[in-house]
Amino acid sequence: MAFIELRDLWFSYSPESEPVIKNINLDIEKGSYTAILGHNGCGKSTLAKLACGIIPPGKGKVFVDGIDTADESRAFDVRKKCGMVFQNPDNQLVASIVEEDVAFAPENLGLPRKEIRKRVDEALATVDMSAYAKHATNKLSGGQKQRVAIAGMLAMGPECIVFDEATAMLDPAGRKEIAEAMKRLNSEIGMTVITITHYMSEAVEAGRVIVMNDGEIAADGTPEEIFSQVEKLRSISLAVPQVTELMYELERDGYGFPRGILHAMDAADAIESAVREARR
Amino acid sequence: MLKDITFGQYYPGDSILHRADARIKIIILIEYMIIALAARSLLAVAVSVAFTVFLVVASKIKPGLLLKSVKPLIFVLIFTAAINLFFTAGEGDPVVHWNFINIYREGIVNALLMAVRLLSLVLGSSVLLSFTTTPLDLTDAIESLLSPLKKLKVPVHEFAMMMSIALKFIPTLIEETNKIISAQKARCADFDSGNIFRRVKALIPVLIPLFVSAVKRAEELADAMECRCYHGGEGRTRLKELKSRPGDYVFLLCATAITAGVILLNSITTQEVFDFCKTLFS
Amino acid sequence: MSQSIPALEFSKVSVVYGDKTSFEVRALDGINVKFPESSVTGIIGHTGSGKSTLAMLTNGLLKPTEGQVLLFGEDIWSKKHSMKEIRSRVGLVFQYPEYQLFDETVEADIAFGPKNIGLDPEEINKRVMTAADFCGLSEKELKRSPFELSGGQKRRAAIAGVLAMQPKVLVLDEPAAGLDPKGREEILGGLDEYRRAYGATLLLISHSMEDIAKYTDRILALKNGKVCLQGTLDEVFAKAELMFDAKLDVPQITKLFIELKKRSICASTDVYTVERAKQMVETVIREAKNA
Repeated sequence: MAFIELRDLWFSYSPESEPVIKNINLDIEKGSYTAILGHNGCGKSTLAKLACGIIPPGKGKVFVDGIDTADESRAFDVRKKCGMVFQNPDNQLVASIVEEDVAFAPENLGLPRKEIRKRVDEALATVDMSAYAKHATNKLSGGQKQRVAIAGMLAMGPECIVFDEATAMLDPAGRKEIAEAMKRLNSEIGMTVITITHYMSEAVEAGRVIVMNDGEIAADGTPEEIFSQVEKLRSISLAVPQVTELMYELERDGYGFPRGILHAMDAADAIESAVREARR
Repeated sequence: MLKDITFGQYYPGDSILHRADARIKIIILIEYMIIALAARSLLAVAVSVAFTVFLVVASKIKPGLLLKSVKPLIFVLIFTAAINLFFTAGEGDPVVHWNFINIYREGIVNALLMAVRLLSLVLGSSVLLSFTTTPLDLTDAIESLLSPLKKLKVPVHEFAMMMSIALKFIPTLIEETNKIISAQKARCADFDSGNIFRRVKALIPVLIPLFVSAVKRAEELADAMECRCYHGGEGRTRLKELKSRPGDYVFLLCATAITAGVILLNSITTQEVFDFCKTLFS
Repeated sequence: MSQSIPALEFSKVSVVYGDKTSFEVRALDGINVKFPESSVTGIIGHTGSGKSTLAMLTNGLLKPTEGQVLLFGEDIWSKKHSMKEIRSRVGLVFQYPEYQLFDETVEADIAFGPKNIGLDPEEINKRVMTAADFCGLSEKELKRSPFELSGGQKRRAAIAGVLAMQPKVLVLDEPAAGLDPKGREEILGGLDEYRRAYGATLLLISHSMEDIAKYTDRILALKNGKVCLQGTLDEVFAKAELMFDAKLDVPQITKLFIELKKRSICASTDVYTVERAKQMVETVIREAKNA
């Protein structure tokens, strides 16, 4: 059984309107790191909200760790297992002091004070924000606010965190902070991470990339597999990393480069060996 | 303009006032208001001023910040003092007499008294509550003090939560207002000329976006809170339980004593104090 | 060309916040920059480097503490021109400008600027249509409420609201932030069209080096309120290693060529587009074969 299972899933925001999610079947494994890519309005954020039970499915089923998200009596259990970090850093922090905000979820769970303290300290340490425990949330940078939001989720003790375009409003430095935090959560504490994004550089870091288009899954595979399909991505108005595009163009012109090169270093290696080859 | 407002802004610190129980601070604030407003005789005012000075020093808040919180009120301060100065009629001859202006001794006393009162009220409530108490502590304290009302089905927790969120968002909304004003100014909007009617109308392009964004923020925040298992006040525990220590009660006791003292001192005139001292030393 | 008057010029401009207190912050420190007419300058730098302060100076929303801001050679604070006039000639689009939308229809909202300038209804209407066209808004969308539009459409409506004043200088703070590649291209492409049509001068603040490489011809890099690099794209990218060292982002393709230079495969680092990169790699391999 996968951690999150979507079965024949359909969803539309109102009965008259066009469905945003059309017949999606998807399994997300425990401990995996998945990026969901797609242009604005392709249904990727809706998918994320469905996957962690914030909105109930229209048609079909969503199971989080075996629990049906349509079962309202278990809504609490689903939320505890699957946390979500949202786009706007200002609109998800509840308290004006960092540690008070991180304590919000465990407080809601009715945990004893000692346990709350422990979770808050651990969560802040995980996102490297312990030094800011007593700071005012509104004086932090965007990246720091998002790290506090992550800590707030961690303190709830979830098994999965969904990042819904959590880096979209950040500057490059903040984006890096959060991308690194996501990677660490997955590799160090085995958190299941799902990130919704249209930054290719973030999708490249994931173990699996799912491309959405018009409410459907257009492609699903490793980053290398996905980004070697340059034409397909272009046709659904997504761009590939510059280096990938360069190597793709060169390969198409008959140079023997491997497909799906994502990083500048790998491209440099490939070009270096091609130059050596040519000298011989 | 808007950035000068310091209301509801907590300044992190570790003074006696920062550590004191917020509930006790609220009760003391009520007593403090009584002191500031009731003090009439010279001695009573002196005690009340001394108490204010004590609170300000005890809060360890930088004087610059305090001045900033007083700044928006300077106009009100001068205005009330002036009214008292010119419109208090006293017995005996006026101290200053020029054309139709008569200033009496009582007027000067009243004006000074008013200024001192207002100033102490602002400073006292700033250092007692807003500067030294986090909004969350403040609302927790209100919730705790009002908790008897829960039995009457008053939604005390919800009220307190709403208040704490409102306080948290004040700086965000101020920043946002400034941003919208700048954006509309960049589209040649004019906020500074024309009559009152035109000026109010000019604010529409600021108020509508502000309202729209506040609603959006509220929706997103509700989602985020739900995600973090928020389900009302029932069964909720707290990271920081409000705890009153013996020191807090000593503080409360002192404040109560001062309140009683000030009320008593009010009935004693300065002359009587002199006489008392004379008999004591003779 | 270099002798002609620049569209916008900063002469020894400094901005100090919180003057005379202990919190004094120099947001900009003695900036000297010229923006030639109908050029596109990409402005880069970290958060807090002074980019937003610079934007607010261009149309007089902020007054420099020292120095002058010259619009076609005239100090904008000289009182010769009203602020309204300055602001209609220097259009400023803030970050996430969609929050400025307020009117009942998109059309009325775009007309807000031209109306404030005091143009006659016919001219306003003409300008609204032209601006909507540059931003790719259809007739149907103009009649709708701005609050019913999608995120990308809202952004375009807000930008159209500034274009409708037909400014000669256009300053944009991250106009494409948060949009997908297609949305970015639509907006930045439309702005480029506007520039060509009106000979306007563009200042484009952006974190995306890929966009800077694609849409600008000059770069101004700020660091701690000072100019750290400026010049044409070729001039600046020729010193790409310096940018890298200054912890400024460079396009991914430039990163590749910095690496290739380190490995002494290719000597130049002023490569910032995929086409150029392709030519360079092809040349390098051809030369290797011939050698």
